[in-house]
Amino acid sequence: MTRIKTVAVPAKRNSVGCGECRSSCQSACKTSCTVGNQSCKKISREGKIEENK
Amino acid sequence: MVHTFEVDGKYYLFDVESSALHECDALTAEVIKKMQGQPCFLEGADEEAVREIEADIAELKEKGLLFAERSDARPEKSEHLKALCLHICHDCNMRCAYCFASEGTYKGERQMMSFEVAKTAVDFLIANSGDRKILETDFFGGEPLMNLDVIKKTVAYARDEGKKHGKTFLFTLTTNGVLLNEETAKWLNDEMENVVMSLDGRKEVNDAIRKTVNGKGSFDYIIENFKRFVKLRGDKSYYVRGTFTNKNLDFGKDVEFIADLGFKEISVEPVVLPKGHPLAIPDEALPAIREEYRRLSKEYLKRKKEGRGFNFFHFVVDIEGGPCLSKRVNACGAGNEYLSVTPKGDLYPCHQFSDNPDFLMGNVFDGRINGEIRGIFKNSSLFTREKCDGCFARYHCSGGCAANNYNFNGNVNKPYEPTCEMMRSRLECALHVLAETRQ
Repeated sequence: MTRIKTVAVPAKRNSVGCGECRSSCQSACKTSCTVGNQSCKKISREGKIEENK
Repeated sequence: MVHTFEVDGKYYLFDVESSALHECDALTAEVIKKMQGQPCFLEGADEEAVREIEADIAELKEKGLLFAERSDARPEKSEHLKALCLHICHDCNMRCAYCFASEGTYKGERQMMSFEVAKTAVDFLIANSGDRKILETDFFGGEPLMNLDVIKKTVAYARDEGKKHGKTFLFTLTTNGVLLNEETAKWLNDEMENVVMSLDGRKEVNDAIRKTVNGKGSFDYIIENFKRFVKLRGDKSYYVRGTFTNKNLDFGKDVEFIADLGFKEISVEPVVLPKGHPLAIPDEALPAIREEYRRLSKEYLKRKKEGRGFNFFHFVVDIEGGPCLSKRVNACGAGNEYLSVTPKGDLYPCHQFSDNPDFLMGNVFDGRINGEIRGIFKNSSLFTREKCDGCFARYHCSGGCAANNYNFNGNVNKPYEPTCEMMRSRLECALHVLAETRQ
């Protein structure tokens, strides 16, 4: 690749969620519906498990 | 679909379906535009350079990171409740000029939620939560700390009942800070997973809108309470949450001011008011708002590089570990997995609908949820919001806030364009911030 630099690639994830993430409106926005800046709780939790091995 | 954009002289390709983000040069952006049949400028372009670009594009396409196919998946929504917003107090010790809740009363009488109602709401949430393990309860108002005793009893009750039923409760509270003394701060720090503190920024901006019941500016009453609270908070979650209006379209300065006070977690949102209200944001202000987000992103990155960084809610985007498709298309869950409860125990789709009798969904004491109203929300998703079809931000906002859509367009499925425009501006800045912080 000479002209394009990849910055970020999403983790492979299921289309059906575990439902453990926060309801968006419980976070700081309250009026702007923003889901893309939430992290998947499952991925972050499993990441922590990996880190602790 | 690939969105090409430029922020502060940097060019990016955002692959909408895969959510992959790439940095490129201006010529590459033009080649991508041409491939999508968009207006482009390629006259006189170096042919060898264009061939290199086309080779890169082919490689990324092969990896599914550019021009990725749209998923056919249509995730179903669970009908198990996840969260309740408890209107623990329909009263307020402030009189803010833009308050959507009519100074805390939601166009009704001033009243507190009793422990009996709160306790029944907790039972209702557990009973309707199915196999969910994590349940959320948000203490909201008016000003919830005016009814702290009931909040404390409710938290203790929910924790006990949660243990009996194998559920973990996460609590959030939103406060204006007037009653946030040291003792309350310590209790909130022990019990609340997240606390949202309302502050609009610079003293003159805050005080022009957020006034006490005596008509005085609130800044001096609350600021030391907020500082002490955050000092005691440690590494637990909080947000200082402001609102900007037509009177402070330079709201980035308010974000910077809040950061200068030492707060690290900041969210400042556009006001939601009917058109024609003196504080409402007019359509013609959108270009200025776009520029302000861009200016703020530049300052945001500068501070991060100088070791003075903070988190601005909308500039934090998680590409690698972001939400699943189900979350992205089904949005906040209002009206289906997330409901609000008034002091009388009445159920509404969310706090923003709580003054609209057309959306009364039941009462925690009768234990039933109106299926017809729930159906409006359960059947609403990104896929029912046709206007979102060609928008690059669609997997980040899910088609907007249902309440905003309804209040401005009379239809939860019809996004309100000015909020779409602001969302797109913020997302471009967030992706730029992500790329720059990876350097």
